[in-house]
Parts: sequence; C-alpha cells; structure tokens
Amino acid sequence: MKIDTFKYDNGIVRAFAIATVVWALVGFSAGLLAACELFWPGLNAGLQYITFGRLRPLHTNAVIFAFVGNGMFMGIYYSLQRLCKARMFNDKLSWFNFWGWNAIIVAAAITLPLGFTTSKEYAELEWPIDIAIAVVWVAFTINLLGTIRNRREKHLYVAIWFYIATALTVAILHIGNSMEVPAGLFKSYPVYAGVQDALVQWWYGHNAVAFFLTTPFLGLMYYFLPKAANRPVFSYRLSIIHFWSLIFIYIWAGPHHLLYTALPDWAQSLGMAFSVMLVAPSWGGMLNGLLTLRGAWDKVRQDPVLKFMVVAITAYGMATLEGPLLSIKSVNSLSHYTDWTIAHVHTGALGWNGFLTYAMLYWLFPRLWETKLYSLKLANWHFWLGLMGIMFYAIPMYWAGVTQGLMWKEFTPDGFLRYPNFLETVLQLIPMYRLRAIGGTLYLVGACIGTYNLYRTAKSGVFQRETEVQAASLESDTHSAGSGHRWLESKAGWFTVLSVVAVMIGGAVEIVPLYLIKSNVPTLSSVKPYTPLEVLGRDLYIREGCVGCHSQMIRPFRSETERYGEYSKAGEFVFDHPFLWGSKRTGPDLHRQGGKYPDAWHYNHMEDPRSTSPGSIMPPYPWLLTQKLDLKSLPARIRALRKVGVPYPEGYERETALQNLEAQSAKIVANLNFGSISNVPPDAEIIGMIAYLQRLGTDIKSAPQAAVIEDSAAPSDVVVNRNP
Amino acid sequence: MIKNVLTNLGGIGLYGVVSVCLFFTVFNVALVFALLKKRAFLTHMSALPLADDTHSGPCSELKGNFRHE
Repeated sequence: MKIDTFKYDNGIVRAFAIATVVWALVGFSAGLLAACELFWPGLNAGLQYITFGRLRPLHTNAVIFAFVGNGMFMGIYYSLQRLCKARMFNDKLSWFNFWGWNAIIVAAAITLPLGFTTSKEYAELEWPIDIAIAVVWVAFTINLLGTIRNRREKHLYVAIWFYIATALTVAILHIGNSMEVPAGLFKSYPVYAGVQDALVQWWYGHNAVAFFLTTPFLGLMYYFLPKAANRPVFSYRLSIIHFWSLIFIYIWAGPHHLLYTALPDWAQSLGMAFSVMLVAPSWGGMLNGLLTLRGAWDKVRQDPVLKFMVVAITAYGMATLEGPLLSIKSVNSLSHYTDWTIAHVHTGALGWNGFLTYAMLYWLFPRLWETKLYSLKLANWHFWLGLMGIMFYAIPMYWAGVTQGLMWKEFTPDGFLRYPNFLETVLQLIPMYRLRAIGGTLYLVGACIGTYNLYRTAKSGVFQRETEVQAASLESDTHSAGSGHRWLESKAGWFTVLSVVAVMIGGAVEIVPLYLIKSNVPTLSSVKPYTPLEVLGRDLYIREGCVGCHSQMIRPFRSETERYGEYSKAGEFVFDHPFLWGSKRTGPDLHRQGGKYPDAWHYNHMEDPRSTSPGSIMPPYPWLLTQKLDLKSLPARIRALRKVGVPYPEGYERETALQNLEAQSAKIVANLNFGSISNVPPDAEIIGMIAYLQRLGTDIKSAPQAAVIEDSAAPSDVVVNRNP
Repeated sequence: MIKNVLTNLGGIGLYGVVSVCLFFTVFNVALVFALLKKRAFLTHMSALPLADDTHSGPCSELKGNFRHE
C-alpha cells in the first residue's frame, strides 16, 4: 500500500472565514437599517441610494451570498479536503473562487444602491455580474469535482453528496433564471414574460433557498456536528434516504410561491403537494442531526459550538415544518404578502444558516490558529443575544403577519371591508416593526461580540497555513488520471449524473408545461405593449425597488377584488419583462392603480407620500422630480424588448418612439398643470413614473373603446388612449 | 373573452399522477438502496468525519478549551 504525504490548504479556509465574519456585519447592518426605515421613513435622509426599495435587495444579497455564501465555501473547503483525504484540486481555482466571489459581492454592494437591478428576488444582479457568477461557480464546481476525483477515501461521505448537488443545481438554476437580453451595460430584460417569468423565477427562488441555504448546510451539518459532538452520525441509512428524497422533492415545490396568482391551478396544486411531502425528508435530516447528539447532551450545556448547532438544527426543523404549512393554499391565502413570510425566512436565515455558520466559525478558529477560544463568556453572550434576537425578530413578525392578513380580509356585517384604507392595516404594525428592529439589534450586537471573540482568538494563536498528513492512496481502478471515461464510470461520476437527473426531473415537469402555457396564453386584443414613456417609467419602478413593497397581483378573493378591483389575469402580463408580481405588501397592490388617481396626486405622493396619505411609511422620492429620463437609452431598450418578444415594429425606436414619448409626456404635463402643478419638465423622471402607474391594469378596463388595436398596430396608437 | 384558459390545458392532470409515481419510485429505490447497505459499511461511513484527527490537538477536549471561562 502506497502512503502519500500531502498538505491540506488552510489558507483558503481562513480567507473565507474572515470574509464570512466581515460580510455578516455588513448584511445584518443593512437589514437593520432597512427594518428601521419601515417605522422611520425619513431615515434615508433624502438619499436615493439607501431607500428601503434599494436597501432590501442589498440586505438579502449580502446575507445570502456574502455571509452564508462565504460561510458555505469556508465549511466546504475545510471538510472536503479532509473527507477526501486530498488537498483541493487546484489552489489557483480556490483563490479564483475566493476573489471572484467577493468581487461579485462588492459589485453587488455598488450596483444595487445605484438602482441597477433585474428586480427578480435573490437574482437582482445585472447581466455582467450574472456572467461573473456563472464563471466563478464553474471554477468552484471544477475544484470540487477535481478534489473528489483525487480523493484517497474510497467512499463519498454524505456531506459530499450534498456539496455535489449544491454545485450542480445552483449552476442550472442560475443559468436558467438569468436568460436575459442586455439593453446596456447595466440593464437587461428577461427572455421570459409574465406567468412564464414568474414560474421560472420561483423555480429559481425556491431552489436557491433549497440548494444554496439548505443542501450545503446539511452537508456541513453532517460533517461538523459529529466532529463537535465527537459522535458518529446517528443513522447513515437515514442520511441516504434524506439526501435522495430531499433533492428530488425540493425542486418541484417552487410554485407554492405563486398560490392564488394567475399561475395555472394544476401547477399550484403540484407545488403544494410536493411542498407538504417535503416535511418528511426535512425532518428526517433534522432528527438525524439531533439524535447524533445522543449521549452528548451534557456537552451542549457547556460547549458554545454545540449550543449554536442545536438551535440551528431546531430552527431548521421549525422552518421546514412551517414551509409546508405555508404552502397549503388555505394557510397561504392568509399568510402570503404579509410579514408572516418575513418571520418564516428569518427563522431559517438567522437560526439555521446564521447559527450553524457561527458554530462552524467557533469550531474552526481555535483549530486553524492552534489555540483556544478567547472567551467562553463572550461566546455565551453571543449565543444568548443571538437567540433573543431571533425571538424578538420572529414573534413580532408572526404577530404582524397574522394581524394584517386578518385585517385585509375582515368585512363588516353590511358586507363592506372593515379596513378599506390599506394604510390602517399598516399603522397597526408599527409597534411590531419597532420590536423587530430591537431583535435585529440584539442579533447584530451578538455578532459584533462574536467577531471580537474570534478576532482575539486568532490573535492569540499562530495560523497554520497548511496541515501535513499522510494517507494511503487509492487503487487506480476508480479514478486513474486522465481517463475521462473511467471517471464517469467511477461512483462519483455516476453519482453526479444521478443527482442531476433527480434534480432535473422536477424542473422538467415544470418547464415542459411552461412551453405548453406559452402556446396557450390568450392574446388579449386589449393588452398592448408599453409605450416608450411607460417603458422608461417601468424601468424606474424597477430601479427604485417598488416591487419590494407593492405587489401587482390581485388574487381572486372577494377581500381583494373589493379593495383593488378585478383580479389579475395571466393574459395581462404577456409583455411584462420582467414580471413584477412581488411577494410582499408593505404598501397596497398596484395592479389596478391606473386611472385611480389624477396625475397630480401621483406627483404629490412621490414628492411626499404623507401629503396625500397621512401616516404613510413610504419614503419620499424627490429626486424623481428633478432627475431627467434617460432618453438616450430608449432605442436600446426598445430593441432589447423586441428581441425578447415584444412586438414593437422594426425601426420603431429610431424616431417614432421618441415622438410618441414626447406626445405622452406633454399630456401628462398638461394634466399636472390642470392640477396646479406647473413648470414640470416633460423629461423629468416623475413623468415616466406617472405614465407607468397610470397604465397599470388598465388594459382590460380600457376595452373596447380605447384599445382595440391589433397586434400589428404600432404602439404609438396606444398613447392616445392612455390618458388618465 | 378574457378567461384564464390556462386552467383548461388538456391532459394536464396526468402530470400530478406521474409526479407522485416518480417520487415514490425514487423514494423506494433510495429506501432499498439504504436498507441493502451492510452494517460494517454504515458504521464506517457514519464515523468518517471522526476519522480525520488533524485538528484534534489542543481543542479535542472540551475541558480547558477556553481562555476565559
């Protein structure tokens, strides 16, 4: 037997660990600031870069991809080498992964506040960054599979299965959801529209939760929990069933994000059924984790690593029970669009991902620096502050969600809405929003203490850049060098193929009908492409992140049709690249906003929301009144939209589009004059925003006298009929 | 005219049946696969994270593992 001497690379683990700690503070701070803006709307101090709409994607991206992402890489780079008894496949790829990933995060931190966003949740970054993500992820995947190929341990431990599933599925999801046509360096339109875009987005969005926040962390749990508890995994059999069931089912459940929307009912039911089934493998994994601690519970009282892990696994169990519950249509009808969803995701993010990441950090730092943890007391403070933070976050948000959901649905005995003014239901929640901010502060303070503790730990030790080890080399029959076919034939190769097949089945069953839907979407003669001014206005709506607080999807409930108007139809969104249905109503739904108020109301409302809606928590948008529309980019936008299927006539963007835009602007300026608002420049951004808001949901209202225009008609005809 | 005809796609009910059948097939195959594994193999695999002792030095014992207890 040949014994190899080799070294594990700890340097890359340290780099990801430090990045994890730093980005955690950034992500939590952004979240806290966003949370405070909901009860203190002027907190952005007039700065457009940090309004809630722009801050929210920054917060989610920083927490998911920066904090959790770096933590995931940290854990994988540490455990993979040891489980494979091999150094990482290629050091250059490792560092490319590190610097590339963190450069992407910096790019996100710059572009999102500037308003460069696709508006698709957890996929907000624009196309050049999307390409960078794909390249870096491929580098990571090659490094992962190459290390597995060079392994000296014959069998692949279950953690590695989860890593493989993560690497492959995230690549598929990211590429599938990022199919877009550029309209400039930082602007693109997705190739999908309306219903299709919504389904692809939530196929991605749901599985980003599954394969970025769940599967890699389950793999890390299966490695670090036995290490910390010094106990073998409770049931390896259970872990096998856990893995296959989980990756197979998860991918089907995306449509549960779209219950009661214009998505076909069969797809909603399929999503609901698989979501309910998902509780079985999830709890299998949770129980396997908790039972691994059998005989080691006495250690949990003393060891902060185990404390953090127990709460993390418990939070995973709670979130994965709640998720299927929320996917039941009747429950979802109450919870959707409310803070209940926010509570749910934070149980997962703060509890499961956050606490497991800190458990790994507390476990790794003393070992990487060959020292002891600086302070047990500080670690305990971190634990309790974090736990209290989760409680103070989640409980008020559950309360707020249920309160608002019930208020939206309540009718008087006479059959009228009890709270017809949406704002009434928001004002009820302000105390909950304040409590939530206390929770966030506690969690952030805990994280700061943890950071100090880890820093002092590192300072007290000597970093061990590499660890030299010896291991017997494997016989060459499973992975001889340079033999691609043998690689495929080896277990790891087959395993990879099978994982992809398992994941792709669910995706295919959703995507095949997607094409069927496309061929069956009714072409409503009254639904027309947006006018050039509306296109620019819509892009401003996207830039400002309005979708973070306002849905454009009226569900077919009496409580919604009474409040907002006719429920939303699939055929109304065929030119919506991207769809803007939203997932949260901090403000009211806007799908039937068009024509509801005069232009002057919108002008005043955007300048100071409290002048038209006393008590509103929406921030003012005074810059819309002074900044100019980006008219130069209009041709590129029209061209890109034509490429993705919007039927603008060939050459329309050269002259007609601008003439059309000017005509529509002039009408809005005249309307504003009529409303005693004079001297508004016709090329001010507010004009585009008003045009778009006044268009919303009017297509089916404007028929038959206004918009009976055949597909071949130029959108210029539309302008004439778009006046509020 | 404006109707959500998407709900009337022909033969779409089949998807639900096929999906559930697929799931149970995958689940049962995984179950059989797991049950057929030998105990020695399972014992070896479940203890695999513990086999790596490169970092068990000063931190392997909980007691005395912290500077400021």
